[in-house]
Amino acid sequence: MTAGRIFTAEDLTKDLTLECDVCVIGSGAGGAWTAHELVKQGKRVVMLEEGGYHTRREFDMTEARAFTNLYQELGDRGTDDLAITILQGRSVGGGTTVNWCSSFRTPERILAAWKDRFGIDTLTTQSLTPHWEAIEKRLHIAEWPLEMINANNKVLWDSLGKLGYERSLIRRNVNNCLNLGYCGMGCPVDAKQSMLATVLPDAVEQGLDLYANVSARQLEWSGRRITAVRAEVIDPVKNKPTGVKVTVKAKLTVVSGGAINSPGLLLRSGLDGDGRVGTRTWLHPVVAMLAEFPFEVNAFQGAPQSVSSHHFVDRGPGNVGFFLEVPPLHPLLAATASTGTGALVQDMLGKLPFINSMLAIHVDGLLPEETGATVRLKDGANFKYSITYDFKPAHWEAFKFASKEMAKLQFAAGAKRVASLHLDPVVMEKVEDIDKLDAARFEPVRMRVLTAHQMGGCSMGKDPRTSVVDPQLKFHTLDNLFVVDGSVLPTSLGVNPQETIYGIARWAAQHIGTAV
Amino acid sequence: MYLPPRGVPDSRRGFLKKGLFGGLLLALGGGTFLATRRGAQVAMPAGLQVLNATEYAVMWAIVQRFVPPREGFPAADSINTTVAADGIVALLEEVTQGEIKQLLMLFENALPNFLFGLRTSPFTQLNPTEQDEVLAEWRDSRLTLRRTGYRALRGIAIAAYYGNKATWSAVGYPGPLPGIHDPNAPAWKGGAEPRPVGNGTMSEPAPAVTP
Repeated sequence: MTAGRIFTAEDLTKDLTLECDVCVIGSGAGGAWTAHELVKQGKRVVMLEEGGYHTRREFDMTEARAFTNLYQELGDRGTDDLAITILQGRSVGGGTTVNWCSSFRTPERILAAWKDRFGIDTLTTQSLTPHWEAIEKRLHIAEWPLEMINANNKVLWDSLGKLGYERSLIRRNVNNCLNLGYCGMGCPVDAKQSMLATVLPDAVEQGLDLYANVSARQLEWSGRRITAVRAEVIDPVKNKPTGVKVTVKAKLTVVSGGAINSPGLLLRSGLDGDGRVGTRTWLHPVVAMLAEFPFEVNAFQGAPQSVSSHHFVDRGPGNVGFFLEVPPLHPLLAATASTGTGALVQDMLGKLPFINSMLAIHVDGLLPEETGATVRLKDGANFKYSITYDFKPAHWEAFKFASKEMAKLQFAAGAKRVASLHLDPVVMEKVEDIDKLDAARFEPVRMRVLTAHQMGGCSMGKDPRTSVVDPQLKFHTLDNLFVVDGSVLPTSLGVNPQETIYGIARWAAQHIGTAV
Repeated sequence: MYLPPRGVPDSRRGFLKKGLFGGLLLALGGGTFLATRRGAQVAMPAGLQVLNATEYAVMWAIVQRFVPPREGFPAADSINTTVAADGIVALLEEVTQGEIKQLLMLFENALPNFLFGLRTSPFTQLNPTEQDEVLAEWRDSRLTLRRTGYRALRGIAIAAYYGNKATWSAVGYPGPLPGIHDPNAPAWKGGAEPRPVGNGTMSEPAPAVTP
């Protein structure tokens, strides 16, 4: 087998046309596993990645550099009204280059809901388990030991214990991890078993040609077939097209740009699935609470996420559930995610080593009334989309409920002060103050809502009238177009999504290979 | 450059145009007496990429409010925070840059400041206390659009300041351990070159590095 190559903008100075069996668009969790499996089957695969090829040579553990190079829109992608900040990866490896390593198999209850509501009988624990086993082995996915958790996660662990809530240790995809705490800026020692460090180079070694800084702009199609992928080389410094065009003529195309960008590409191509492409986008909306402790938490040091609680993940019919984790707090992320006046930010950041934050990550898409986010094209923009999120009363009820529970947990762990992330924060100094949250307004752009998990937008389902791709992930109205990434998920997951996407991609690659 | 196909709804004026009040606010940018009152002049530094003199003056004033003088914290100007804010805007797409420029002018414009807060001076001519009041009015407004505007400008000012390493000691952030990042690590690009161990794209097992 001849090894493939990784090309970047500097290698791409003239227009070129490539012919291959499969063109995979996107190099994140979905694209990487799909491409790897296909080259193993002997297929000639070309991969296009809009972001740059950044490696540990550049991962200097500074946020300013990471947000610029490794995140969509400098880490400040958001809904049109900025009610939700969207942290989403953008480089070779996609979100896996910058995620915090939390690895979960898809919960059984979610797969069951997909079968009941959307007729998805292909994805079951049984069908996915062999893939998860192979993936877990390759990516060294293992539980992070209790004695290794950092002080920030220990706050969550201890407080969950005190209140008698369910708690568990998170499995992480790391190998010889140095427990540094910079996962979100690209692992400087390749201990994180991201796609960048594992599956993509595996695939390149086996023949994959990966074109970084190349943005797929349009899929050309005729009848029931994609005939060409039209792409442009992107200047990595200016983040604008250089004018050099890349055309890929493939027998089959796999779109793996992730939720938001995959729908974006389809919409630009006039493939709107009768208006369904870009709808039912799920964001696991996150609300957070900050707490000041009398001891050092150093939330910037050590494995960022190692403890979670699914105690509130199923709050019964009509309610939005959530799970609890903690984030790392480096200064730029802490400051930009914070709220309040400049003086208040100085107060808070001046005590950064003593600050803990908890996250309540809400499981959206399970209630019948939910429609989630809608992604549409934005005139004059290459990489920015119009994104709106349709909050329902159940979301705000859950956000308030979760805020109170997090405050309880933080006080139980010994917090001196707890603050909400309202634009004008609610500050609490004792447990009794938690009731102050009742007077606060839980409304869009009055409090911080964030997301680091984007799902849906190209929903899978059996019924072409209510979904974009079928249960084999094939686009309903085309014969040689598949979508393989988080965008196919018909609801959110209730767990961090990377392993679900890995599993689905490795599973899908088997039948995609036979469809070429 | 790519442009969306015909028929895509025109959103050139972005979020400011959304909704009735958005249209109203934009209309307030018209040539009335209050709208044309001069703002404060601030010396223009070299190297600005996007902001013009007026926009820079407004951004500068906003930066001063989100990074007020504080013992132990470097002064905003001492680390060129407003220039950094311009640099952040420069990295955004042109359509977003245009929205931010509009927003800065709206912030400065005396007419909306009068209508919303009975102030007859542009933002840059107000004293710091009044500027804080204006910011709070945007933050707490019943109009989502104004809250969004507040959120956008605050985000740029805060990111421009706290993205600078010079703030690390003020916030008690040790920064990365030395000896971990290897700026000379190989970056394998495939082809005839064999895939080295620990080359920046793979390693199994990971290279031994002692913090």
